[in-house]
Amino acid sequence: MSATAILSEERDLDRSLVVVFLRGGADGLHLLVPHGDDAYHRARPTIGLKKSELTDLDGFFGLNPQLAALHPLWQDGLLGAVHAAGSEDETRSHFEAQDFMEHGGLAAGGWLGRFLRVRPDAGNSPLTAVAIGAQLPECLRGAPSCAAVQSLEDFGLGRHAPPGFAKQLAALYSSTPGLLGPAGASALAALERIDQLNKQAASPDHGAVYGKDAFNQGLQQIARLLKAKVGLQAAAISLDGWDSHLTQQTIIEGPMSRLASGLEAFAKDLGPERLAHTNVVVMTEFGRRIAENSAGGTDHGHGSAMFLLGGGIKGGKVHGEWPGLDESQLTGPGDLAVRHNYRDVLAPILTHLSPATPLQEVFPGHDLRPMGGL
Amino acid sequence: MNETSRRRFLQATAAGGALAGVGGFSAMSSWLASFLSADPEAIGPFRASTSAEIDEASHAINRLTFGPRPGDHQRVSAMGAKAFIAEQLDPDSIADHESEKRSRHFEALAAWPAGELLEYSPAELLDQLTRDKLQRALNSKRQLFEVMVDFWSDHFNIDPSKGDSRWLKPLDDRHVIRRHAMGNFSELLKASALSPSMLWYLDGRVNRRDSEHEKPNENYGRELLELHTLGVDGGYTQQDVMEAARCLTGWTVHERKKARFAVGKVEFQAQRHDDGEKIVLGHKIPAGLGKGDLDRLIQIVAHHPATAMHLATKLCRRFIADHPPLPVVSAVAGTFLETGGDIRKVLITLFSHEAFWATRGGLVKRPLHFVVSALRACGAETNAGPELQDYLLRMGHAPFQYPTPDGYPQEPEPWMATLLWRWRFASEFAANGIKGTAIEMKTLVSAAGGKRELAAHLLGRTPTEAEVMAALDSGAPLALMLASPAFQLC
Repeated sequence: MSATAILSEERDLDRSLVVVFLRGGADGLHLLVPHGDDAYHRARPTIGLKKSELTDLDGFFGLNPQLAALHPLWQDGLLGAVHAAGSEDETRSHFEAQDFMEHGGLAAGGWLGRFLRVRPDAGNSPLTAVAIGAQLPECLRGAPSCAAVQSLEDFGLGRHAPPGFAKQLAALYSSTPGLLGPAGASALAALERIDQLNKQAASPDHGAVYGKDAFNQGLQQIARLLKAKVGLQAAAISLDGWDSHLTQQTIIEGPMSRLASGLEAFAKDLGPERLAHTNVVVMTEFGRRIAENSAGGTDHGHGSAMFLLGGGIKGGKVHGEWPGLDESQLTGPGDLAVRHNYRDVLAPILTHLSPATPLQEVFPGHDLRPMGGL
Repeated sequence: MNETSRRRFLQATAAGGALAGVGGFSAMSSWLASFLSADPEAIGPFRASTSAEIDEASHAINRLTFGPRPGDHQRVSAMGAKAFIAEQLDPDSIADHESEKRSRHFEALAAWPAGELLEYSPAELLDQLTRDKLQRALNSKRQLFEVMVDFWSDHFNIDPSKGDSRWLKPLDDRHVIRRHAMGNFSELLKASALSPSMLWYLDGRVNRRDSEHEKPNENYGRELLELHTLGVDGGYTQQDVMEAARCLTGWTVHERKKARFAVGKVEFQAQRHDDGEKIVLGHKIPAGLGKGDLDRLIQIVAHHPATAMHLATKLCRRFIADHPPLPVVSAVAGTFLETGGDIRKVLITLFSHEAFWATRGGLVKRPLHFVVSALRACGAETNAGPELQDYLLRMGHAPFQYPTPDGYPQEPEPWMATLLWRWRFASEFAANGIKGTAIEMKTLVSAAGGKRELAAHLLGRTPTEAEVMAALDSGAPLALMLASPAFQLC
C-alpha cells in the first residue's frame, strides 16, 4: 500500500463491526427456544418454555420473553440468528473455550486483531479498535492501535495538554515533509472530532434509552464513536453472568434484559443509516447441556446461538441447519451439536466489511466454509 | 466459586487496576513497583549538541541506541562516534551492573527447568517479559545489543499467546534471542528452530510422519525460508518448502497437558522422522541422517546468498534508511557470506560504510523506540507497569504481542496512525501524568543548562526558531518537543 493511499483521506472506513461476547456460556436454547422440538420439552420439564410464553419467530423457534424488545428489529429484518453455532473446542472450560474462540482457533493473537491487520483497506485512524472495559479481550490481541477504554474521555490529548497544544502541533506538522506531515494533519482532524464529541451532550439520538448497567453504557459509548465517524472499525464489549448452573431462569434474567435493552437502544441510537453500516455479532464460548439439572440450572454444553444485527445481513430468520435434540444428534454428555462453526458465520460478515481480506490469515488452521445466505 | 467467577477474580487480581489488561501485578511486581519508582537519580549538568545539524555523535546515538540519555552526546563527542560504535559492538566489554541488577527482579524469566514457568500465570510471564525488555532498553549500557535483541525478536517473532508458548517464550528470549543476538546467525537459526516456543508457534511440534501417507506440516518450513532466511523473493520453490519440512519431521516438544514436569523439553522422535533422501535448494541430503538433517538444512539455508541479501536489506533498513542504497546492502551481504554469518562483523561493515553516515535523522522511530527514547532523554524512572504498557498497546507496539510470524514492521507507513497516542503520551509523561513513571523537570532543565539546550538534547541538534516558538507558545514545552515531528525521527 502506498503511503498516500492511507494518508490522503479522512477515512471513515464506512463499515464497523461490534462484537458482543456473552461470557460464562450463554444457553442458546433458552434465548432462542426450539419450542417445536419435542425433545426440548422432555429435557426441560421445569425450566423449559412453552410456545405460548415465547415470541414466536417461525413456528419452530421463539424468542425468550426477556428478549421481546428485540422482536421489532427481527421483524424489520435487521436482526437474525444462527443456531447450533459454536467452536470445536470440547473442553467445556470457560477459560479454554473463550480463549480458543477469541484467538480464532489454536492461533496466536485474536481473530479480530488479525482481521484488522490483514484487511487490505486498513485505515489510519488512531481509533481503529476499542474495547469497552478495563481489559483488552483476547479477540483484539495484536490489533493495530487498540485501546481498552471506559469512556470517551479516555481519548484525546489527555488532561494535561494545555489549550494551545494542538495548535502548536499543527504549526510544526503542517510544514513537515514526508509521511509525518499528512499523518499529523490526520491525527489533528481526529482530535478535533473527538473534542467536538466530548463537548456534545451525551444523550442518545432518536429517543433511544440505554440502561444504567455497564453493558448498556458501553454500547452507548460505542454508538457515540460510530456516529462521530472517528474511523472506528471494530469494537468489542462483554456481557457477563451467563453461567447458569442453578436456577437458570432467575440467574440469566438480568443478563438477558440487559442484552435486549442494550441492543434495542443501540440500534435506535444509531438510526437506520448508521446501523446499515454497522454489524453486531453476539457470541458465547459454548452453550449448555440440553437436560436441566436438579437445581433448575444447566451445565456446560456445546452448541449455542449467535445473533447478528445490522446492515447487509439477512435478518428476520434463524439461519442454517437445525441438528435437532434427538439423542442420536447430541454430542458429548448430551449437548447440542455445533453445526455451524463460528468462524464460518463470521466469514461472510468480515467479507462484507472488507471484501478482499484473506480470511485464511484471519482463521488459520480452519477449513473455512463461509456460511451462505446470511 | 464457579469457574467463571474464579476466572474473573484471577483476571481482576492480575489486572491490578490496569487500564488495558496487559499487566500483572503479583506481590513481587507491586513490591518492585515501589522500588523502581523511587526518586529519580539526580541528573548532573551535561552539554547537549550545539550543532544545527545532526552531527556524528548524535547520529551514532540515534541509530545504535534507544535514544540519548543526558550526557550521552557529551561522552560520545569526547570519545568520538567511531570509538563509541566500537564499544557498542563489544557488549561484553561494557559493565552493566545496574541494569543487570534490576532485571534480576524479574525472577520468572530465570525460571529453570522450564516446568518452573508453569508456576506463573501467562499474564504474569508476559508482564515480566515486557517489563524486562523495557527496563533493559531504558537502562542497559549495552544499547546496541538491546537494539539487536529487538531486531531479532521481530525477525524470529513469536506471539506467545498460542498453546504452551504462553509459558515458554521466556526461554526463547533467554536461550535464543539474547544468547545469539550478536553471535553467529546459523547458531541463532538453529537455536530458534529448536526453541520450544517456536515449535509451538509454527507447529513444528506436530510436523511428523507417522505413516506413509502423512504429509509434513509445512508451517515452520515455509516461514524458515520466507521470513527467517532466504526471503519471499529468495528463489525457493514450493518443493523446497516441503523438503525443508520433511527434514524437520520428528522434532517435537513435551506438552503441558501430557507431561507437566517435562514441559518444554525438546525431543527428536526418530520413528516419526521421514528419513528418506531430500533435495533442498538443489543440495542433496542423503537418506538415513536422522536428526542430522536439521544441521544440514540449517547450513544450506543460513549460508545461502539470498539469505545474506535478505538479512543485509533488513539490517540496512533498520540502521540506514527505508530504501538503503544497493552498494551498502551488497557490502553487508558480502561480509555475511565471507564470515559465515558473524553478526558482529556484519554490523562493522554496515557502520563503517559511507552510506551509514550519509543520511541522518530520516528514520521514523517505531512506538517502542519513541517511548523509550522519551524516557531515556528525560532520565525518567519507571516501573514499566500497566500504565506505561498501555500506551504501547494503544500504539499497536506492545512487546511480544505481534500475532503473525513476520514481526512488527520496520517500515514507517503502518505506524503513521500512532501520532495521536504519541502526543498524548508526550503530554501526560511530561506532566508526570503516567502512574509509575516519573521525571524531574526542573532538575532536567537546569542540568541541560536551559530550555533551548534541553531541546537540543532531545532533538540531537539545536532547535529551529519555529520549534522554539511552538514549544514556548504551547504552554507545555517539554511535551511539545517530545510530540514534535523531529522527535519522531532518528
